[in-house]
Amino acid sequence: MQSRTKKGALEKVFTGIRGLDEVLGGGVPKGRSTLIAGGTGTGKTVILNEFLYQGITQFKENGVYVTFEEDKRDIIKNVEGFGWNYASLIAQKKLAFVDAAALKDVTFESNQNYDLHPLIERVKYAQKKIKAKRLVIDSLDNFFSRFQNKDAIRQALRQITAELKDLGVTVLMTAEKSGPEQDLTRYGVEEFVTDGVIEVALVKGQQQFLRRMFVIKLRGTDFRSGIVEFEITNQGLVVYPKIPVQNISAKTDFQVRKGFGIKGLDDILAGGIPQGHMVLVSGNTGTGKTMFGMHFLRQGISEGENAVFVTLEEPIDQVKKTALTHGWDFNRLEKEGKVSFVTTNLIDVSNDKLLYQIISAVEGINAKRVVIDSVSSLLSATMSEEQARQFLIQLSGYFKAKGITCIMNYLSLANFGAERGQLLGSLSTSEMRLSSVTDAIIMLLFVERGQKIKKLLNVLKLRGSQHSKEIFSFEIEKDGIKMGEKYEE
Amino acid sequence: MAVKYVLKLYVTGVTFRSQAAFKSLKKIMSENYKGAYSLKVIDVMKHPKLAEDDKILATPTLIKILPLPVARIIGNLSDKEKVLLSLDLVAVR
Repeated sequence: MQSRTKKGALEKVFTGIRGLDEVLGGGVPKGRSTLIAGGTGTGKTVILNEFLYQGITQFKENGVYVTFEEDKRDIIKNVEGFGWNYASLIAQKKLAFVDAAALKDVTFESNQNYDLHPLIERVKYAQKKIKAKRLVIDSLDNFFSRFQNKDAIRQALRQITAELKDLGVTVLMTAEKSGPEQDLTRYGVEEFVTDGVIEVALVKGQQQFLRRMFVIKLRGTDFRSGIVEFEITNQGLVVYPKIPVQNISAKTDFQVRKGFGIKGLDDILAGGIPQGHMVLVSGNTGTGKTMFGMHFLRQGISEGENAVFVTLEEPIDQVKKTALTHGWDFNRLEKEGKVSFVTTNLIDVSNDKLLYQIISAVEGINAKRVVIDSVSSLLSATMSEEQARQFLIQLSGYFKAKGITCIMNYLSLANFGAERGQLLGSLSTSEMRLSSVTDAIIMLLFVERGQKIKKLLNVLKLRGSQHSKEIFSFEIEKDGIKMGEKYEE
Repeated sequence: MAVKYVLKLYVTGVTFRSQAAFKSLKKIMSENYKGAYSLKVIDVMKHPKLAEDDKILATPTLIKILPLPVARIIGNLSDKEKVLLSLDLVAVR
């Protein structure tokens, strides 16, 4: 596979790390040096390793690892966890090490009268031996702290980067940030890495540490600005790039309608939900929101449209069990590849990761309908209203572009047994805020009348379409929802 | 009984600095050590593989292999006191 992308005059080299090349607008600048800066444990070394590993395995570009931190043996051992066999790559002359790690032997400096020629020679020797196109240095801080003569170090770095640039070798280096607010890394290493700086950080969540990445600068064009989330899995890094909201200009298709398959309801909706709409189904507990969602999915499947069910309220098994009591076998549908389930841990939920999980599930079965149960559960302690809104905006843009129609459940805390005048209640401020990203709102309500509890439905909004504005009663029966008469007081 | 010193001096080419290191070392050893010692001089330009094997980063680097522990001294060795200290030699007054 080719590793080059051409963007204007500056070529970029794919890193091969999932999601990262998208964030970088194509990769890192070819033949130049890019700095990965961050504190301890932020993942800098994993990035270096994967850059070399993917370079060799995906793009047939050999690589050299210059290490000041850990010695060669430890590095080889560390990457075994990812399933990367460095020993084999070394034997095949695709990977070489310049082991400059601190030695067990004691080192004295008799004076500052020395230079670092041997290091330069060793780097050149290794690069030449395997015709490497990629090289990493870990870490600059460790290098600087090793010798008193900082000028000798700077001179060596200048020479190494100059020679590698002439040879068209792409370099990644690591350095610690000297403090969270500092711009300069501790030894002012910026002069050697003027072509790109990527910062990585660990942020404390509720239950775990979350990983963040930020491109500070990158020579060339089009990198995605903003903080992105990433993870280190047992197969390497996964970066979650943001979906560029401004690129999406797709709109709802009012000619195509998606029905619920519930007699009466689809009439109220003048045929069904217009394709591409984001629909909020708002109601208190027990009003049947999840049932409406299931009807929507089932109807789609019966018309040959696959669906994704995002369950954030209940575990997947519970959802399937509930459906089964109404005679719907979601297990079988899942096996047939017609339905896909997505779920996630809501504590320390990652917006971008959930977004990507949903998109992956949708693209995996080419789904046309999605149900999210519920968006109110996204407003947990770790996702603010604004984050939830951004999440839905990105999702909405993607769905409209793909012609996907989405039902989002919302747990409304409207009063039980509303008085006559308050029948519709009012939208809470949260719902109001979300209403800018929703194209339709269906409200479900309980009402207590003469010792009976009635369930009511009202289509509050259906953007761009005619719809009945009246209130209808409905019942949840064994085989699903049945619409009733118009509700008169 | 004097312990035999085994030394390796890594230099980069035949430069003023390399020569100076060599001369300093010979002077220090002859002035402060009565026993025999072996000294090998290695040019990293001619033997980059040896430099890699011994993990040399700077020149001049003097490696004291014996007596243990192994020690490395970087710099042109003109600071006599420091060199004696690192070689674990006692200065002869």
